Amino acid sequence: MYTATRVTILALALVAAGAATVQAQNNATVNVTAAVQQPITVTAANPLDFGTVFPGVPKGVTLASGSAGRFTVTGQGSAPVSLSFVVPANLTFGVSNTLPITFIGSWNGINDPAGFGVVFAGATAATFSGTGNLYVFVGGTVTPSVSQAAGAYVGTVQMTVVY
Amino acid sequence: MRASLTIISLALGAALPLAAQQNGVTGIRDLAFGTVFPGLPSVVSRTDAVNSGRFDLSGKKNRDVQLTFVLPAVMTGPLAATMPLAFGADDAGYSPTQSVGNETVTWDPRTSQTLTLPNTANPKVSIFLGGRVSPAVNQRAGGYTGTVILNVVFF
Repeated sequence: MYTATRVTILALALVAAGAATVQAQNNATVNVTAAVQQPITVTAANPLDFGTVFPGVPKGVTLASGSAGRFTVTGQGSAPVSLSFVVPANLTFGVSNTLPITFIGSWNGINDPAGFGVVFAGATAATFSGTGNLYVFVGGTVTPSVSQAAGAYVGTVQMTVVY
Repeated sequence: MRASLTIISLALGAALPLAAQQNGVTGIRDLAFGTVFPGLPSVVSRTDAVNSGRFDLSGKKNRDVQLTFVLPAVMTGPLAATMPLAFGADDAGYSPTQSVGNETVTWDPRTSQTLTLPNTANPKVSIFLGGRVSPAVNQRAGGYTGTVILNVVFF
């Protein structure tokens, strides 16, 4: 009996030792992946220039004119983007002289103003060309009053492009 | 009688290491952010059935397991460019039925988590992982990769 008990205890001790070591470690991996698109660059390539205007005579610049404003944009080929603008209601000269102005615009994947229309209040959806180019053209009309003060009037058109 | 006791006991002792061999973890699916744009953070949810990372575990029923991720802080891209990668609360999930969106336990993968495998024969469960990538506005274009390791201790 004594011997049997001793054997059993020994056997259980072996089992317990086995249980204590049953702690398996394992590991596995997965990758994390992402593809970053080309960053957007915007360049003011050409100013919108009305040249000489006369009091009481409105003057327009068409999108196809060499005096039209033009932005060139580069980014990820074929990617959609959103265009938004901040435009002035008037050009200014000095501190108190204003010259009313309105705008027209278009965008295209090639350097051709005969593209798609843009809006200046709100956002315009556009798409890069397959090679990642985008051209935006800005024209407009200024309306000097008959008593418009003579001088050089200026304003700024700001365009923001985001994916 | 003495001999029988000894044989049974030794047999039990031998069976335990065999059971341990059933434990396993396998990387099933990459955590894929797809196309991301400079300056725009992108999030993949752990419940995303296509893009979330996935590991499968197998073990013995009712067995406790301790899960510990090794997570990269950045992904590496062209010319050794790096892109920040982040993980937060609830980005890891455990599904006893291997169904994405049916995680019964969620946790912050930056911390270890101990779970109990289901009370079913030869249970297989899944761990899903989401995350967030934050490309800079001037992030270099191209493919970025990183590696997530899941260490599992089977008790």
